[in-house]
Amino acid sequence: MNPYKAILSLLLFSTFSSLALGENQTDLPITGKQTLQNMVNAMQTLNYQGTVTFLRNGKLEPMKYFHAAHDGLEQERLLSLNSPLREIIRDTGKVSCLYKETKQKIEEKRPFDRSFLIDLPKDINNLDSTYTAKLVGEEDIAMLPSFIINIEPNDKFRYPRTLWVEKQHFLPLKAVVYDLNNDVLEQLLFTELTIKDSLPFVDSKSSTPPPGSLSAQQLTEAKFLLSQVPLGFKELFFTSKPMHNSSQPVDHLLLSDGIAWISVYMESKPTTTPNGLLEPKTVQAIGAINFYSRAVENYEFTVMGDVPPETVKLIAENIQLRDSQH
Amino acid sequence: MNDELKQHISEFLDDELDHADSLKLLQSMQKNHELTDTLNRYAAISHLLKNKQHLPIAKDFTATISAQIEQEAFYLIPNRKPTKPVYKMLALAASIAAIAVITTNTIKNPTESPQLAPQQVAQQKTTPPAQTNDTEQYPLNARINDYLQAHNNSVYTNGQADFRPLAKVTAYNSQK
Repeated sequence: MNPYKAILSLLLFSTFSSLALGENQTDLPITGKQTLQNMVNAMQTLNYQGTVTFLRNGKLEPMKYFHAAHDGLEQERLLSLNSPLREIIRDTGKVSCLYKETKQKIEEKRPFDRSFLIDLPKDINNLDSTYTAKLVGEEDIAMLPSFIINIEPNDKFRYPRTLWVEKQHFLPLKAVVYDLNNDVLEQLLFTELTIKDSLPFVDSKSSTPPPGSLSAQQLTEAKFLLSQVPLGFKELFFTSKPMHNSSQPVDHLLLSDGIAWISVYMESKPTTTPNGLLEPKTVQAIGAINFYSRAVENYEFTVMGDVPPETVKLIAENIQLRDSQH
Repeated sequence: MNDELKQHISEFLDDELDHADSLKLLQSMQKNHELTDTLNRYAAISHLLKNKQHLPIAKDFTATISAQIEQEAFYLIPNRKPTKPVYKMLALAASIAAIAVITTNTIKNPTESPQLAPQQVAQQKTTPPAQTNDTEQYPLNARINDYLQAHNNSVYTNGQADFRPLAKVTAYNSQK
């Protein structure tokens, strides 16, 4: 073959190939961002139930899942299938957990309503500076056709995730959190999911009120400040309340970038050990949650969140007491 | 093992041992595996000394490893290694023996406190009166558990351990 013809053929072939790829992309009826926005809306407004399995810390936890929605109110309910048998209910601003065997009931107020399944902001555009959502394919999960969405972080301070979103109703069927080496840290998977016209709200009222109040306080009331925080993380909530069955208050600052959440705790340093109890000098992990502690003067700080070890360490190492700022 | 045998092994490796003594040594090694081990060790040392290859180690080698270990995440995931039944039996026997000793001492001296080693007694004398600080005696795992519970809902959906408040979650020093 004439060499010019060969080069021309090669160019034509590559052009058609890229055009074909482009067509495939445009064939997809929806973008990754649109799919996520539809999913956020569907998760809040639809009534649905199914069986979901959580894989955390190398252990599977299958649970029955119910989501009821009515007049702008939501209720999530989980029933464990394995011991310890328990029913967990999330209402607006509150989570309760009833242990069936011991009849022990725990109620906690929550500053934010965060789903048991996936945390995403109500407006997906808020993720633009920190994550890129891409629709990368389609797959059947629990015999339901679904879109595969990769949520890639734009820097190394947060974890990548992949979501499988059911195509008809836009409900999440599977979610995976990866570490920075693309190893799976944790995941959840629906093995069956059905949509209902309505589902009842279960009464989760308790005879005893939740211990302590969880009223938000001004961020300026915190005795510390964070001099360096990765882009996109916003300080959302601060409270100082007793913890550990003690009267001593523990300061709790909550940050989020819309997907990942980070807590900063501050309490008086125990006096029994010179460096305090919580100073491991290394980042520790429970599933996707890393935590790191360090002492600053007479206080002990612990930073934890579903972010890479470097992120919790960075935030912890850049905590400053307001008094010693000057 | 006597020095003469060691000397013979060394000479054997250097091809300086006569035929009769070599045969004698080889016969001894067939019966005594400790001699074989010594021979192998001497052979390795000899090889190392005679080998001209040199593997340089960077000056900051240990510092680099220490830094990498410090950067490494510390996982609390239990590393469940299968325990051999023999160890279980030994552990059980040791526990029973310990209980028997403690029980016997208690029966013999019901009013006396258990004997402490001198060092422990000294520590006991110098220990200041108990502090009233609430956070002092609170276990690390319970504190982390409380933090996790306040952080998000994952404690309730976690089947790894019983994450109820105040439940102890054992920390493991598992290597990655």
